[in-house]
Amino acid sequence: MTTPAYLGEFEQLLLLAVLRLDADAYGLDIARELEARAGRSVSRGALYTSLDRLEDKGLLRWRAAAGTSARNGLPRRLYSVTPAGVAALRASRDTLRRMWQGLDHLLKEPAP
Amino acid sequence: MSDGEAGTPNDGGAGTQNDERQPPRVARWLLRRALPRGVRGESMRGDLLEEWRARGGTAAASAWYWRHASSLSVRYGWRRERHTNPVNPGDRRTRMLLDNLRQDLRYAFRSYLRAPSFTLAILTTLALGIGASTAIFSMVNGILLRPLPLPDADRLVYLNELGRGSQISIAWPDFLDWRPRAHAFQGLALSREEPLTLTGLAQPERVRARRTTGNFFQVVGVSPRIGRGFGDADDRPGVEPTVIVSYEFWQTHLGGDANAVGKPLVLDARVHTIVGVLPAGFRYLRAYDLFVPMGPIVDDKFLNDRGNHQGYNAVGRLGPGITVEAAAREMAAIGLDLQREHPDTNSGITVRTEPLAARLVAQVRLTLLVLLGAVGCLLLVACVNVANLLIARGSARRHELAVRAALGGGRLRLTLQMLAESTLVSAVGGVLGVVLAIWLLRVLVAVAPEGTPRLDEVRIDAAACLFALAAAAVSGMVFGAFPALQASGIRGQAALTRSRSAGASAGSHRLRRGLMVIEVALALVLLTGAGLMMRTIREITRVETGFQPDHLLTMRFSLTGEQWTEPRRLRFYTDLLSAVRSAAGVTNAALAFSLPIEGSNWNSFFIARDKPVPPRPELPNAAFSPVSDGYFETMSTKLVAGRLFDTRDSPTSPNVAVVNATLARRLWPGESAIGKSIKQGWPESPGTWREIVGVVADVKFEGVTVETPLQVYLPLTQESARGLAIIARTPAEPAAMTATIQAAVHQLDKDLPLYAVRTMDQVLDTSMARERMSMLILIVFATVALTLASVGLYGVVAHGVTERTHEIGVRMALGAEPRHVLGLVVRQGLSMALIGTAIGVAGAMALSRTVQGLLFGVTATDPATFAAVIAMLLGVALVACYVPAWRATRVDPTTALRAE
Repeated sequence: MTTPAYLGEFEQLLLLAVLRLDADAYGLDIARELEARAGRSVSRGALYTSLDRLEDKGLLRWRAAAGTSARNGLPRRLYSVTPAGVAALRASRDTLRRMWQGLDHLLKEPAP
Repeated sequence: MSDGEAGTPNDGGAGTQNDERQPPRVARWLLRRALPRGVRGESMRGDLLEEWRARGGTAAASAWYWRHASSLSVRYGWRRERHTNPVNPGDRRTRMLLDNLRQDLRYAFRSYLRAPSFTLAILTTLALGIGASTAIFSMVNGILLRPLPLPDADRLVYLNELGRGSQISIAWPDFLDWRPRAHAFQGLALSREEPLTLTGLAQPERVRARRTTGNFFQVVGVSPRIGRGFGDADDRPGVEPTVIVSYEFWQTHLGGDANAVGKPLVLDARVHTIVGVLPAGFRYLRAYDLFVPMGPIVDDKFLNDRGNHQGYNAVGRLGPGITVEAAAREMAAIGLDLQREHPDTNSGITVRTEPLAARLVAQVRLTLLVLLGAVGCLLLVACVNVANLLIARGSARRHELAVRAALGGGRLRLTLQMLAESTLVSAVGGVLGVVLAIWLLRVLVAVAPEGTPRLDEVRIDAAACLFALAAAAVSGMVFGAFPALQASGIRGQAALTRSRSAGASAGSHRLRRGLMVIEVALALVLLTGAGLMMRTIREITRVETGFQPDHLLTMRFSLTGEQWTEPRRLRFYTDLLSAVRSAAGVTNAALAFSLPIEGSNWNSFFIARDKPVPPRPELPNAAFSPVSDGYFETMSTKLVAGRLFDTRDSPTSPNVAVVNATLARRLWPGESAIGKSIKQGWPESPGTWREIVGVVADVKFEGVTVETPLQVYLPLTQESARGLAIIARTPAEPAAMTATIQAAVHQLDKDLPLYAVRTMDQVLDTSMARERMSMLILIVFATVALTLASVGLYGVVAHGVTERTHEIGVRMALGAEPRHVLGLVVRQGLSMALIGTAIGVAGAMALSRTVQGLLFGVTATDPATFAAVIAMLLGVALVACYVPAWRATRVDPTTALRAE
């Protein structure tokens, strides 16, 4: 992995959500996390196709886990971020940080 | 799913694991189809299921499930297809076309979602048009088009005799003569409806039965599922009475007993042996409980009198290669032969032969065809309206289309795009239409007149769905063609300059005005139909019926069996009348053989003693009805001269009769009929002379619209019938008195079945049910059409005002007064309405001959109706034009000009 992959905004949000959820990230949790923390209500079609895309890019991977009775025994896919994914996130953050630099007086953003 | 499979992953079916609730079935099916197989798809379905349950499994949760299931299916459905079908260079062109189409549909879908109110307007209009026309088509299909549910039903013909041109039934001896002489038929069977009283099972009851000749079931082509049919042996005199029961009767009354054959049924106090059970759903003209053969009555003196026509008609199965016309010719010749052979009884008697299916639906055929025409108009109005909306949108999207054209969107591509949009809309409209049609059909069947044939065969079937599909496709093409043409005319540069002059959209505006004219014309045709039906109903309700129909309750009973000798019957009638009259809430009561409106049960020739006997074809014919004392008082029928029946008239007193005014006038013009004598029956047959003691007002007998016949009333004491109607006048709501009167009757005879319980108002309503249904449907159609037309008109005028804001501004700036502007706009709008009205009037006139058959008391070109309809249409049009015109006068000249 020489150049980190380019990440769209939604992709960043997805990767961050998976990281936050640690080992238990499956579709439903990711959707909830996005909704709770980013205020994004996301269509499931968009959610899973984006997850697939991130998997294709090698930024995410998943393993299957047994389902509970609440889902009629249907399996879950537990996602985790690959090292490449972490690298891509880091690169995106750095890019943003560079772009933000020196604009604090204009945007008047309180320090996080 | 069985419990044994509980461990396997599964999100469908009942009985799975702990949680029974399941998301919407169709959505689940969609997901299973669209999502990839294996863990990927299963995990997504699992996530969705889990969240649906977490949301409580409510209707809201299901809506949520549907939304996300759709988004998943759309994304994965398409992806999968692309992945699994790698582009093959050979059919790249097709692939591209399909891809474009998919893109167009997607684009159309989104653009409709962006304009929900516009989309809603289009879909509502389409669903109304397609739904209404599919529902009416289903009626027409089920009743008129679909073949009768009998084998080779198109080879079956119906025969009856005509006496002096009007339809009568077949005399038994005539039928016996037909059989060996008629060669056009493989078989010819006689039958008649003959209600019977069934006793010996749980409750005595009046059952629907048909008496038939032994070959009846062979002719109609049905054999019993159990036991045997009738044979010629069953027609012989003195045979043991037998009966064949319908499948439905077998189920409801005999519990589907497999050993029912051989069991007895007591019908009209005679034991009949069950010999067969018919297959389920067998109908001949209508559904019957039982069939009985001719044998037990074939000795009857009256049956064998060639002058008696006792309600029989015949069904024949045409021989191979024989047409209905050929059979009709042969039967007509046989009829003429019989006239020569039996001049006494058969002079003037001819035979009518027609297809059985045509005969069955003769009464409703015209109504249905007119309604089908009306619904066609409505569908056209809907199409025109949608076309109008799409064109208006097309003009608004000119800029967008111009951009696409400028960016290299070919003309074909843009046209296809427009067609994709209209196809999408019409497909969705078609589906909604079918849903609406299912509901509408239920309403239609509920309001259809009592006795409408084959109503139980009416349903939304494959043919109806096909019809809806065709209607949707055709309307999609019709209204889609206009915007598509428009789009194909886009010149990138010209449109991009956003020229304000009216020139660029003049074409589309002219188109819309033309469509408006059509719409107004169609609306006028529908309004005229509705107006004429309203007049018809008003005329019918204004007809003098000769009696007071409100607050009258009627019900029938029949005294069957040998034990009811004449003296016993008369005693029973007296007891019955006093029991009913003394019941609380009954002011008066009487018995009668025939009821007004429902029709006469006994028509007969008669002669007058003081007149020369006329030749046979000119013998007067009257409706005879034995009635009890108090009948005219109960019905509130006016006495014109003489007296009514009273207790003086007994079995031993001189024979008397009361006649109606028409009879008195016809036989003794300018004289009093009182004191004259008449005799019922053939001139030479023995009979009693009866003295006319009273003349009463005319009473409508066969419905309201048929001319009043000659009527003769006989005292029940001197002519005791077995089947009678009880009539009770009650100050309270008559229907509520049913139980009281039934109880009073059952005090006397607890086993007497009472049937046909109806108020006289109901009888009257039933008699005009067909007209009423036509009126209701036409009013609904006309209202919808008028609404659509006025909304359309408003839209076109308002659009014109918007396009001409600049021009109006200039006019106002140059000193035009508001009223001039108002006049200008209203004039232009009204001119469309006026042209449409003129065309509509011409159309309605052209159709007048078709609808005349449905009308009563009003001609199809009734000037008053036309005037009212035109005034109404133009009034609505004026309002529709005035509102945008008024807005035009509010145009601020400076604003209008500054935008330049």
